[in-house]
Amino acid sequence: MKGYTGKTLFVNLSDGTVKTRPTDMEIARKYLGGKGYAVRLLYDYLIDYEKKGIAARDINPLGEENVLIFATGPATGIVGFPESGRYHVMALRSPLTGSIASANSGGRWGPFLKFAGFDAIIIEGKSEEPVYLEVLDGTAEIRCAKDIWGKNVFETEKILKKRAGRRCSVACIGPAGENQVLFACIMNDEHRAAGRTGVGAIMGSKKLKAIVVGGDSRPEVAKPDEFEEVSKEAINKIRNNPVTGEGLPKYGTAILVNIINNAGILPYKNWQTGYNDKADEISGETLAEKYLTKNRACWGCQIGCGRVTAVKEGCFQILYSEGPEYESIWALGNTTGVMQLDAIIKANHLCDELGLDTISMGSTIAAAMELREKGYIPDEVLEGLDLRFGNATVLVELIWRTAYKAGFGRYLALGSKRLAEIFGAPDLSMSVKGLELPAYDPRGAKGIGLTYATANRGGCHVTGYTISPEILGLPEKIDPLTIEGKAKWVKAFQDFTCVVNSAVNCLFTTFALGAEDYAALLSPVTGWDMSAEDLMKIGERIYNLERVIISKYGFDGKDDSLPKRLLTEPMPEGAARGHVVELEKMKEEYYKLRGWVNGVPTEEKLKELEIP
Amino acid sequence: MKVRIKLFATLREKYGKKELAVDAEDFRDVFYKASEVLGKEFLKEVFQNRELKEFRDDRIITINGRNIKDIKDEIRIKEGDVIAVFPPVAGG
Ligand code: SF4
Repeated sequence: MKGYTGKTLFVNLSDGTVKTRPTDMEIARKYLGGKGYAVRLLYDYLIDYEKKGIAARDINPLGEENVLIFATGPATGIVGFPESGRYHVMALRSPLTGSIASANSGGRWGPFLKFAGFDAIIIEGKSEEPVYLEVLDGTAEIRCAKDIWGKNVFETEKILKKRAGRRCSVACIGPAGENQVLFACIMNDEHRAAGRTGVGAIMGSKKLKAIVVGGDSRPEVAKPDEFEEVSKEAINKIRNNPVTGEGLPKYGTAILVNIINNAGILPYKNWQTGYNDKADEISGETLAEKYLTKNRACWGCQIGCGRVTAVKEGCFQILYSEGPEYESIWALGNTTGVMQLDAIIKANHLCDELGLDTISMGSTIAAAMELREKGYIPDEVLEGLDLRFGNATVLVELIWRTAYKAGFGRYLALGSKRLAEIFGAPDLSMSVKGLELPAYDPRGAKGIGLTYATANRGGCHVTGYTISPEILGLPEKIDPLTIEGKAKWVKAFQDFTCVVNSAVNCLFTTFALGAEDYAALLSPVTGWDMSAEDLMKIGERIYNLERVIISKYGFDGKDDSLPKRLLTEPMPEGAARGHVVELEKMKEEYYKLRGWVNGVPTEEKLKELEIP
Repeated sequence: MKVRIKLFATLREKYGKKELAVDAEDFRDVFYKASEVLGKEFLKEVFQNRELKEFRDDRIITINGRNIKDIKDEIRIKEGDVIAVFPPVAGG
């Protein structure tokens, strides 16, 4: 059982019980840990509910019956396992999408959970009063959080760390989560976010303010000598790789702004076009030149893509902040038309402080701006707000209003899909399955369109980052404007990403390491002899089981779609000019490869993957 | 033909320029003309071997946003084209 702590914590907030159970090694062997382990447990909950007569479709994402899981994997917290400072959060249903909830975060919370003696924490039920969970040195306690309810993320962390009186890490929600803003996130270690699908709102609905973790135990490795050797090799690969060894440490992810804009796929003003001649003003290069003070890495990370930034003066002054990373710069800047890095840094800081997902926040504001531009939002509801693209002060103001559901903020708090529906123009929400899309226009990178459409959690790039081959040329260059062969790439990336999120370590290692490297690393950690093929099978199993779960909520092929704009409005300018996404053709090929019919795995497929 | 060449990331820092205009005869000449301003060293940023024939595999070189690796035909330039050169970069 090396690599794991062997213990999983079950916390029921309805009856206040805390139980420790052994981590199920049979499940771990088949689903690894992290995301995979969580998906498998969630499936069991669904089956249990069904037996009790509660249909999957009737599960209220903000109700007592939703189950929230924080999970690490065999890689997490292992010294020498590249970038293993992350953890994965999952829940049966996302309040934003109604699909499965899934998010991943860095910092040091993941390793610290293992140091506290647990592989995962399962949160069931719902508390009447605000509480927080303290998991220190093998014991766990539910404690009163009345006095910290209402506090922002940074204050909460400070108070709870002091109270714990030992080295620890805090994952918590801010006012946005408490107020159940549908895309509220879970923050840890100040600026690290389990950002997407509204996992913070789920915590808020359970009245769970925070989870504090820390301890002195350390996960062990099954074959230390063998591991040391492969670890050295992997770390060297990362150091010597121009992307992980130089590009990411030097500029962070924001380096993508210019290259993605150059390719004509940086969505501008709610995706009305993919090119913005002012994008350099908010680029990674400009960020490094004007606002960067230093890097900050997650636990055990050599890459250190995290940015520490400061805006020294002006109305957006903020003397210490972290980020913004690429997606946040784009969502809060490019798609809202706000071309001021100082305002974007401030907006990003506020999202972290209040606990909001930057992608959904920025995109929902951008949708509101286009709705306003096209005359769908009447003056009365705006209370004097000048909701124009490019208005930096309104951007910052709207983040506050969203977190507290104040005034127009109560519409934004619902996310772009509901917002656009309420105001009568649903097609202006740039989302898939209700999750706002990230910063790549698939009209100019067709593979990522298929990834968005088929991602189980909704519009997401990090479940299958085909931008890597399509635009960045890694591991090899493929043409972004064609659809041939994209289904195969998307499937392979989705399956491999499941492995990474179940290991759990950082996706950015995959710019330098492949499935073989992962097999070489995970085998001596766990003591199981695993090949690259074994791992890819595990990844495929996880992706399929997740699909089975979302099909129980009613999702099928019709939901594997894209916003109308991307399917019917040709890109107006740039390298992808004239292109739309030919989704149906790619989908057909993809379903065939996956062994799915209408977006749902067949019985044969499930049997082949040994899915229950 | 007058075209623009744009530099990014470490290249921008190294050569102290974001962009320059050159008058070139063909696509390869763009880089030779640029090297007259940026220095001979610049040729090594884009070409891989001593004879400076092949483009470096680890560079992202685009013409009007299209990666030259994705262009099957011979690359021709026209007035006003924008050529961009990136070192290996990534993110997510
Ligand atoms: S590469 Fe960046 S996100 Fe990944 S572990 Fe390192 S610092 Fe964290």
